[in-house]
Amino acid sequence: MAHTVILLCRCFGEIDGVVDLDGIAGRLREENQDTSVYLLDSLCQEDDGHKLEMLLREEKARKVVAALCAGDRGRHPRWNALRNAGVGPSGYATVDLREGCAWVHRNDPAGATEKALDLVSMALAALAEKETSRDVSTAVHPRCAILGAGPAGLAAAAALAGQGIPVHLIDRADRPGGMLNLISKIYPEDDDAKSRIDPFVREMEANERITFHPRSRVTAVTGFAGNFKITAEGPDGPFRFRAGAVIIATGAGIFLPRGLYRYGEFKEVITQIELERQWIKGTPEKKRFAFIQCVGARCPERPYCSTICCPSSLKNAMRVVAEIPGGEATVFHRDIMTPGSVLEEYYRRSMEKGVRFVRFREDSPPEILGEKSVEAVRVRDAGSGKEHVFPAETVVLSTPLVPNRDNGALYALFRVGLDSHGFFSETYPLHPLETRLDGIFIAGSARWPVSSEKAVEQGQGAAMKALALLRRDRISALSLSRTPEEKPGHGTVAENACTGCGNCVAVCPFEACALQERDGGRFVSRVNKMRCKACGSCVSVCPNGTMQIPEHNYRVTAAMIRRSFSS
Amino acid sequence: MAVLVVGGGVAGILAALDLARAGRPVTLVERSQRLGGQVARLDKIYPTDHCAFCPLWTDIRNCLEHPGITILSSATVRKLERTGDRWAVRILREPPVIEERLCIFCGRCESACPERAVLPLLDQAYPPVYRVDENRCTRCGQCEPVCPTKAIDFNRKTVEERIVVQEVLWAAGFQDGDYNPLPEYGYGTHPDIMTALEFEEWTAESGPNGGRILRKSDLREPSRVAFIQCAGARDLRNLSYCSAVCCMHALKQAAWVKRRKKDIDCTIFYTDLRAVGRDYFKYSINNNSPGEPVRLIRGRPGLVVALTGGGIAVTYEDTLNQERRIERFDLVILNGNLKPSLKPEGEPGTLSLDGEGFVDTAVGFGCGFAVEPADIMDSAVQAASVSMRILGRENT
Repeated sequence: MAHTVILLCRCFGEIDGVVDLDGIAGRLREENQDTSVYLLDSLCQEDDGHKLEMLLREEKARKVVAALCAGDRGRHPRWNALRNAGVGPSGYATVDLREGCAWVHRNDPAGATEKALDLVSMALAALAEKETSRDVSTAVHPRCAILGAGPAGLAAAAALAGQGIPVHLIDRADRPGGMLNLISKIYPEDDDAKSRIDPFVREMEANERITFHPRSRVTAVTGFAGNFKITAEGPDGPFRFRAGAVIIATGAGIFLPRGLYRYGEFKEVITQIELERQWIKGTPEKKRFAFIQCVGARCPERPYCSTICCPSSLKNAMRVVAEIPGGEATVFHRDIMTPGSVLEEYYRRSMEKGVRFVRFREDSPPEILGEKSVEAVRVRDAGSGKEHVFPAETVVLSTPLVPNRDNGALYALFRVGLDSHGFFSETYPLHPLETRLDGIFIAGSARWPVSSEKAVEQGQGAAMKALALLRRDRISALSLSRTPEEKPGHGTVAENACTGCGNCVAVCPFEACALQERDGGRFVSRVNKMRCKACGSCVSVCPNGTMQIPEHNYRVTAAMIRRSFSS
Repeated sequence: MAVLVVGGGVAGILAALDLARAGRPVTLVERSQRLGGQVARLDKIYPTDHCAFCPLWTDIRNCLEHPGITILSSATVRKLERTGDRWAVRILREPPVIEERLCIFCGRCESACPERAVLPLLDQAYPPVYRVDENRCTRCGQCEPVCPTKAIDFNRKTVEERIVVQEVLWAAGFQDGDYNPLPEYGYGTHPDIMTALEFEEWTAESGPNGGRILRKSDLREPSRVAFIQCAGARDLRNLSYCSAVCCMHALKQAAWVKRRKKDIDCTIFYTDLRAVGRDYFKYSINNNSPGEPVRLIRGRPGLVVALTGGGIAVTYEDTLNQERRIERFDLVILNGNLKPSLKPEGEPGTLSLDGEGFVDTAVGFGCGFAVEPADIMDSAVQAASVSMRILGRENT
């Protein structure tokens, strides 16, 4: 075994006040050859990192066991010292001798000393069996694929191109803009919808780094962060390119309220998008408007709030009152969803402008009255409990955004998570634009219904996340970690023993395992190290121990157990 | 192209990381002793019901160990001066009595203190360290000689740091607002009337009661808990805006009260139940808490009064059923009065704030609650997008 250094921390008496560290040091020296044992007052104080580096260099240490507190206090300088002295993660083990030993066994010093010796010996046994994962690396293709040219995709493209990153912007429509092309004005500014994306479209037209592919869709993806190989199909046939990162910003679909509130029966019962179309053509002819919220939303079939419908209704209701002479607008709602400062102010302004609000209970929704056309809306006002009839000429139904019909196909290509509703989901609330796969980011209503304003924000944010990856020249598999430390290894297959059962392929959450055919039609598992996160799922389902993470292989655990029972 | 980030909560931490990863030197100034902001005080977070601290801790560590980020904790920005295209910044750092880098949490100071003024810095902080509660400390000095690492020093001097940066990013977050203008909620008259942030700490698994739900007044289990939303928010006398995070905060807290003790009745008084994000609505349909469902009453209580015989009376109108009632509760949790931490009158330099204290983004850069009421997810998105806009400005 390579030269091993054991560091026993006294912790200023916190450990050696109970545990007989001098006795342990003697026994460790006796039992282990080619081992140096050091007793130190501390390992976490100001220049301990520097001292440790000197010590390890002098000893030419290859393996190190540190017995210290549970908190791993002063970890960062210690890890730097280890790295500088050439000791890798597979050559280092820590043992908790303070909280888990000296403190809990304060009244039994002899027992605590025995336990401490056991713990340190187990760590030594583990180190003897640890192996090191072979790292691989890839050159980063400084290019980004952006799917969807709505506000999120356009904002992301403009941001990345501004940082010198070439972008392939792919959309199934023939022009950029996405859902904004269907809308007349945007909240909360009440500006023309185009104003939201105008600067980005101008950037797209002027900046040669952005290549826009209209009427195109991605058909195949392989590769990993830094090096995705993407095949897409456009009007001129298929095209291929490589990209270091992907941003999915394909937007959402619109729910059609067939059969609800006599939609389809009366032409005066329309959706928000149909009203937007009327506004684009000019000022609607009718004067009395009723807006009904939560049509097909916050219900058992779609148990979520679509976020944008309340502010959209406020916007259109205010326009009815302001722009149509004699215009009247009533909003029938269950709750008005205008969280925050800007939207709450928008809500207040709409009340000041004369928009009427009537709350209804979920169990008594409004009813559309009329023989041949819409005449009125009857509703039990939740505030007074009384039934009212409001004359109306047009009824506008606020329907939720629903997952895009392409999401299933995109999921099959990219394998990033879909939530229970069918929207693309993030890894964690703290990282809302990142997916479980490195290098693939999500933005806009593809991930959750958002306003165009927030979609732009998310597009820029996703671009920022992609940029952190794209500005690197090369990335190694072990460096693709979301913590300050490198990844603790990756799954490694002993090919001659692999039976090709595919269990690992089924359980891998990161799409890292795949079966490959060998001579004679035999299949073996291969781990894509760039995708592997060292979670160990594959190891736990491998029936014959073929799949291992070298740093944590089964011999490590076996050796520790053997040692703990052999004293 | 150095950037100053003011505030070490979620928004500030994530923005500092994004900027540093893009190669910009970042100085992160945090008023308190530790990074983490309000999220570090939370027990659980919605919508995942995970503990707040562990995932946050990963990014705090990323921040602490990034070579491009300089962290100044226990520090405040005192002066900003524009010189050419740069800001000259004066930062005052008041080192705490117990130096965090030296403290080994051995507890000798805690045993030596006659006033019980030495406390763990944060219940969830890891690795744990001690702090001195300045309100209880008499500066008797008995803790100083027992510290084996000389971490305790009552005579540390305030240090002034001067730095020059190209851009300033405000991410100073929020805090509980003042309840004095809102006497009807009875805050301060009884220990069992508390704010949601106080309740979060009081009931945290790593908190004083190990996660048990107790009354503050007599440490007995409550049988009825009321959550009052929009207490001081959406109220033209106090805050006109909606604080955006409180509906979900209450729904999450009620669900966790139920999980810990399913017999406790929970009632949420709301105005509009604003559960708009991914999987937020599931909280309001009560499918993830045991026992009787959480009662949702639309109405804003008009009066909260501590009763002499014990308990707290809440007077309200259930506006969906047109009934006026008085009910007795054991705990009353107020939420909504959340104010941005930056103050229009007291901030240095040319920071531009609107009437409510939010950063005017037409003039300066900001992210998180400093710009607009925002939860963790909103803050994280804003941090990334504002970082991108800062990079974009440098290019032009």
